[in-house]
Amino acid sequence: MIGTIGTATLAGGLVVASAATLLWLRVALTGSAVRRPARIATGTALLAAVLTCGALEWALLSHDFTVRFVAENGGRHVSTYFTITSLWAALDGSLLLWLLILGGYATLLSRPGPRARAALQSWAMTVVSAVSVFFFALTYFAANPFRTVTAPPDGGPGPNPLLQEHPAMGLHPPLLYAGYIGLVIPFGYAVAALLVGRPGTTWLRAARGWALLSWSLLTAGIALGAWWSYAVLGWGGYWAWDPVENASLLPWLTTTAFLHATLMSRRRPPLAGWDVTLACASFLLVLVGTFLTRSGSVESVHAFTESALGPMLLVFVLVTAVVVVTLIGWRARSVPAATPPSPATGPALSRQTTLLGNGVLLTTLAAVVLIGTVLPLVAQALTGVRTAVGPPYFNRTAVPLAVAAVVLMGIAPLLHWRTGPSREILRRLAVPGYVGLAVVAAVGLASRPGMLTLAAFGGAAFVLTGTGTLLVTRVRRDTTTTWNAVAPTRKPTIGSRIRGLLTRRRAIGGLLAHIGVALVTVGVAASSAYSRTTEREIAVGQTMAIGGTAVRLATVEREGGAAEMRVTAQLVLTTDGKAAGSLRPELRYFPARDMTVSVPGIRSGLLRDRYATLLAVSPDGGRATIRLAVNPLVSLLWAGSGLTVLGGLLAIGRRPRPASAQPATTDQSESPVAVGEVGRR
Amino acid sequence: MAGTAGGAAVGDVTLRRVCAVALLVVLLAGAGLATWRSTGGATASDPVRDLAAGLRCPACQGESVADSRSPIAAAMREVVAAQLAEGRSPDEVRAYFAERYGPEVLATPPARGLGLLLWVVPALVLLTVAVAAMRTHRRSERHRSPAPRSDQPAGRLRVRARTTWNVGALSLVGFVGVIAVIAPPGSEPAPPASAVTDPVAAQLTLARSLEQRGEYATAADVYRTALAQRPVDDIRLRLAFTLVRAGQPTPAEEAARQVLAGRPDEPDALLILGLAQRASGRPAAGSTLRRFLTLAPDHPAAPEVRRLLDAR
Repeated sequence: MIGTIGTATLAGGLVVASAATLLWLRVALTGSAVRRPARIATGTALLAAVLTCGALEWALLSHDFTVRFVAENGGRHVSTYFTITSLWAALDGSLLLWLLILGGYATLLSRPGPRARAALQSWAMTVVSAVSVFFFALTYFAANPFRTVTAPPDGGPGPNPLLQEHPAMGLHPPLLYAGYIGLVIPFGYAVAALLVGRPGTTWLRAARGWALLSWSLLTAGIALGAWWSYAVLGWGGYWAWDPVENASLLPWLTTTAFLHATLMSRRRPPLAGWDVTLACASFLLVLVGTFLTRSGSVESVHAFTESALGPMLLVFVLVTAVVVVTLIGWRARSVPAATPPSPATGPALSRQTTLLGNGVLLTTLAAVVLIGTVLPLVAQALTGVRTAVGPPYFNRTAVPLAVAAVVLMGIAPLLHWRTGPSREILRRLAVPGYVGLAVVAAVGLASRPGMLTLAAFGGAAFVLTGTGTLLVTRVRRDTTTTWNAVAPTRKPTIGSRIRGLLTRRRAIGGLLAHIGVALVTVGVAASSAYSRTTEREIAVGQTMAIGGTAVRLATVEREGGAAEMRVTAQLVLTTDGKAAGSLRPELRYFPARDMTVSVPGIRSGLLRDRYATLLAVSPDGGRATIRLAVNPLVSLLWAGSGLTVLGGLLAIGRRPRPASAQPATTDQSESPVAVGEVGRR
Repeated sequence: MAGTAGGAAVGDVTLRRVCAVALLVVLLAGAGLATWRSTGGATASDPVRDLAAGLRCPACQGESVADSRSPIAAAMREVVAAQLAEGRSPDEVRAYFAERYGPEVLATPPARGLGLLLWVVPALVLLTVAVAAMRTHRRSERHRSPAPRSDQPAGRLRVRARTTWNVGALSLVGFVGVIAVIAPPGSEPAPPASAVTDPVAAQLTLARSLEQRGEYATAADVYRTALAQRPVDDIRLRLAFTLVRAGQPTPAEEAARQVLAGRPDEPDALLILGLAQRASGRPAAGSTLRRFLTLAPDHPAAPEVRRLLDAR
């Protein structure tokens, strides 16, 4: 019954989405002002997605095991919360979530916008609708979760135990998906700009906010994934260069580059090539990531051919790539050819050159991550040989690039846009430079963490000092000057200060994000260079220690249930001889899936985490093998990610534009003289 | 120079500058020394650990042989140490492991053949993007901007064309609808041959008979299929045992370990693990088999195992 309803709404969604695509295409082609039907069709597609998700949730909650997805992922023993989240605990259901979010974005984008963007908007809507047609078709034909089971079981195994370990499972995938799928809008606008033939900045202004929103959500999703990996999976780390992680990192890297390219284009000559390519690449990488993680091809080529899903996705990725590359090539030819190379007249060091440099670094970083992720697949498909690309490769290639990017990230905001470093700029650079060098010297002389770690510490210190100073000056200036302009005689109040800050929030958001990334850098460098681990089998009552941290095994408890068996080690923690609470690492065994999960016990502190994992327990329960680790500064990872997300969200919004300062179309009417002046703000 | 007109102010500035430069020199020296010390540390590091860090532990998920605590990793570390002590080069040791466990044991593929792509592709991208950036920079310095283009969309449809369009669009949507209704929503994954007989049971019978005929590799494939449908330890052990007999001790060991992960004292799993280790010439085999004997002294295979252990 529910299965039929779900299949019907899914089919309905497919039809409505096709109609929406054609209606928007018509609006785009005719320049028609009548957008209502198209908008209604887009809204209806969202409704279909909502109903489909609702039907599957209903089936999960009512334990309707005739529905295939419920039979595979539902279970009577699963709590209501995890029953709801099991919608995205497996492939087919997560595609429904994908449809829901895509429909939401499409509906948001279809709202009436400024007249100047009407043509771009209708083309962008055509692109977004076409993407949703594909995903409706993919779900309906290749991964329909509502297929009926001929002999329904009495109960299901429940969702993958790893996904039942923590309530964050309810948040992580939707966040990541929202970030991931949001990139369809900048992509839509980029294709629209290519089609309309105006690679100016109108589309960039329209796309930037969406890109920032997706980027912030994606950042939050990645950070939450790293936290989940650290706090729930219990292998001791937070990033393993796993294909699934890489798939989320790839669009993040290119979107970061895109956001910075939009900064350059504002003070343009046309950088259409960069903007359009990066926006398109980001969404293409989203599709590639979906293909990598959802087609089963990473596990084995065999899994890839089992359903039509993998081939369908692959074809879609290839078609999109070909279309985008053709469009870019076509437009590149129609744009006046580049001038014959002339010696660079601009300064070698300006904000523009550093931004370009960072664009180069981020793109190369993305290439490294992509080839490292894809190569095992390609090699297996071509030669049949299984190869692996592991952390050593990424540590040798991606990490140096990332460190260089961090250093450039610290320099760029301190420079002028177009002019070379003046004496004042050099002075601005000096203090952070001294601090960076001092940190390198101090850390390197006190310990031997390795070159890259040293560079990371130095770079992060540089960013924190330079950007921190800049942030403080800006905040101080914005809280007073904005107010003074309005009412110079009165003293600024707290409310007016906040208002002043909010009008300037774009620049402040950017600086905050930089500080966040620098904090993450410190956290990563410190925790990878200075973590200390020990592992031993100890009897109840015995103690093991590392550094000043010691744990005593107090008890080993076992609880058995039909659905889950648990062994918990109660560890009493002492730091430098003083009692410091307890740790409770667990081993959980799920008979339904024949799977063991090791959940660590963590005591987080500002400076270090005490992290214990239970590896094994003797049959009589008298002894346990414990891995004990002290991980320094991991808290900075989470704090830094939070700041980065906050910065990204703050930066959303229109640039405050003093009424008379610049004409509305700076991009089209900049005179050579004006550029130098504007550039020096 | 500083003592002439301008007096104290100039002297002050010069003094400050000298201080700044001196501080810079000191910091540069310190940072240089620190970096040198950090790189110098690499020479003193442990070659066995370095090599083991580049090998993936075959029985674990994403851990290197250097970091993994599993017995197989420990055994591999011993082999690395022994071979390096014999004077083999790191490349020879890596080749040895690649031959035994397949190329996926290497955490970074060797830089030849397809593995070369790992270095060539990023280098090409870096080159292309850097050139593009340079051109952008130059172009931007010349303040070029293309002539503003027309805001008009590519073409406008006439009234008749619009009717044709509407009809065409409607029929296209109708076509999609018809396909959605007619086409079965995804083919059912191969339905069981008949509802009554249990497909897994049939596969197990087939595998047994294959085993009896000595076709161990084929039997192992059938067990694998059965295992995919019903992931239970019995089938996994059966598969592991068949793999040992088929002369594939590495996957056999892996399967046995999966069983042991859930039931660390399962005698059959220990037996198969021990046999597999013995077949790959692993030194851990003896201790595994002895542990099996202490846990199940009356096991039907116990006498045979005792004989094997005595023979060593």
